[in-house]
Amino acid sequence: MGFLTVLKKMRQKEKEMRILLLGLDNAGKTTILKRFNGEPIDEISPTLGFNIKTLEHNGYTLNMWDVGGQRSLRSYWRNYFECTDGLVWVVDSADRMRMESCKQEMQILLQEERLAGATLLVLCNKQDLPGALNSNEIKEILCLDDITTHHWLVVGVSAVTGEKLLSSMDWLIDDIAKRIFTLD
Amino acid sequence: MSVVGKQLNPVQTNSAAVAANSTAAAVAAGSSSEVNNANAAAAVVAAAAAAAAGDAKRKEESNVTPEDVLRLNKITDDYLCSANANVFEIDFTRFKIRDLESGAVLFEIAKPPSEQFPDGLSVEDTMLAAAEDLTLDDTADPNAGRYVRYQFTPAFLNLKTVGATVEFTVGSQPVNNFRMIERHFFRDRLLKTFDFEFGYCIPYSKNTCEHIYEFPNLPPDLVAEMISSPFETRSDSFYFVENRLVMHNKADYAYDGGIIV
Repeated sequence: MGFLTVLKKMRQKEKEMRILLLGLDNAGKTTILKRFNGEPIDEISPTLGFNIKTLEHNGYTLNMWDVGGQRSLRSYWRNYFECTDGLVWVVDSADRMRMESCKQEMQILLQEERLAGATLLVLCNKQDLPGALNSNEIKEILCLDDITTHHWLVVGVSAVTGEKLLSSMDWLIDDIAKRIFTLD
Repeated sequence: MSVVGKQLNPVQTNSAAVAANSTAAAVAAGSSSEVNNANAAAAVVAAAAAAAAGDAKRKEESNVTPEDVLRLNKITDDYLCSANANVFEIDFTRFKIRDLESGAVLFEIAKPPSEQFPDGLSVEDTMLAAAEDLTLDDTADPNAGRYVRYQFTPAFLNLKTVGATVEFTVGSQPVNNFRMIERHFFRDRLLKTFDFEFGYCIPYSKNTCEHIYEFPNLPPDLVAEMISSPFETRSDSFYFVENRLVMHNKADYAYDGGIIV
C-alpha cells in the first residue's frame, strides 16, 4: 500500500470536502450558498470577508467557503486556496460589461498551483433575468473548452428560483468523490 | 410546544454582546462516541485548572494549547486566558440558531451596530451603561462579556437538524490560523465537541460561519435530566490564533422554559 493510498484512505474516512465559491462581486455567491442551505435570500449584503457553511450532504461533510468578490478583496482569495477540492466560479450572466474581467480572473485561478487538483463548476447565475447570457454563450466567452487542467462543467442556474442548483452541486460532489475517495 | 430560546443575562453594552457560543444548540447533540473519551486526561484538567487559578498576568501569557482543551473532561473552573488576550480585536457580532426542518429562527442575538444600545433599554439604563463604560477598567466585571446564559423550551431537545451561525469581525491585523474549539457538557458528560479551523481572516473583515448538523437521539432519561437540571448543561468556547488562546467564552443552558412549576 503506497503513501497515496494511505492518504486516500484517510480522506475517505473523513469524507470531508472543501468547496470554494469565487467570482466577481455581485455574481450571487452568497445567494447561491444560502439557497443551497435553505436560508432566506431576501436580505443579502456584499460580503466583506467570508461566509462558511459546514453541512452533511449525500454522506459527505461539506465545508463551503464563499469569499467576497470585490476588487479590493480578490488579492486575499489566495489565502483560501489550500486543500480546496472543488472550485465554484459564479458568473453574473446578465453582466455583459464585465465578462472579460470575469474571464481574466477565472484564468488566473486556473493557473494557481494550489487549485490544480480542484474540480471546476462554472455556475452561470441569474438565468431568471431577461438579457442573461445562456451557459453556451458563457462557455464560449470564458473559453472553457480550452481547459485541459481541470475537470469542469458549466451550468445555467438561478439562485432565486433554485433552478439546476442542486443537480450541479451534486455533479461537483460526485466528481470530487470519484477523484479523491476511490482507491483505483 | 414551540421552541423558544432567550438569553437570560443582560446584554452587555460594550464588550461582546454576543458571547458567541457558535453551537449552543450542540448542548443537545450528545454523540455517544464522544462521551466515552471523557476519562482521558484528568491530569490535563488539573494542569489547566492550575493555570486558571494563576494570576491574571500569567494567564495572559497562557500556554494552553488546542490539544489541552480537546482533552478536558469537564467545564473549566475559570477562564484559561485573560479578557485582554484578544489582541486581534475579534468581536462576535451575531449568533443565530435555526431549525432546518421548519426554517424557523429559534434564537438570534446581534450586537447593535457601533455603540448603539439595544432597543428596549430605558434612558436610565442607557446612561448607567454608558457610565459603566467610562469606568470599565476600575469597576466592571472583566468577564462580563464572556459568559452567556440561555433558556430554551424542552422542545429544543427534540430538534432534528439545526444550523448555528456566528458572525464576527476582526481588527486591523490579519488573523492566521484562527481555530474554534467548543466543548459542551451536561455535568461531567461530554455531549459534543466542535473543532473548526477558520484559517485566515482578512483585516477589517466581517465573516460568518454556520454549522449545520443533525441532533443525535439522546436517551429519554438523559433528556429528562437535562430539562430538570437547569444550567447544568454548560459549554466552553476556546479561540486560538496560531495555536495561542486568544479568547475563552462560557455559556450555560436551561431547557425548562415555558414549564409552569
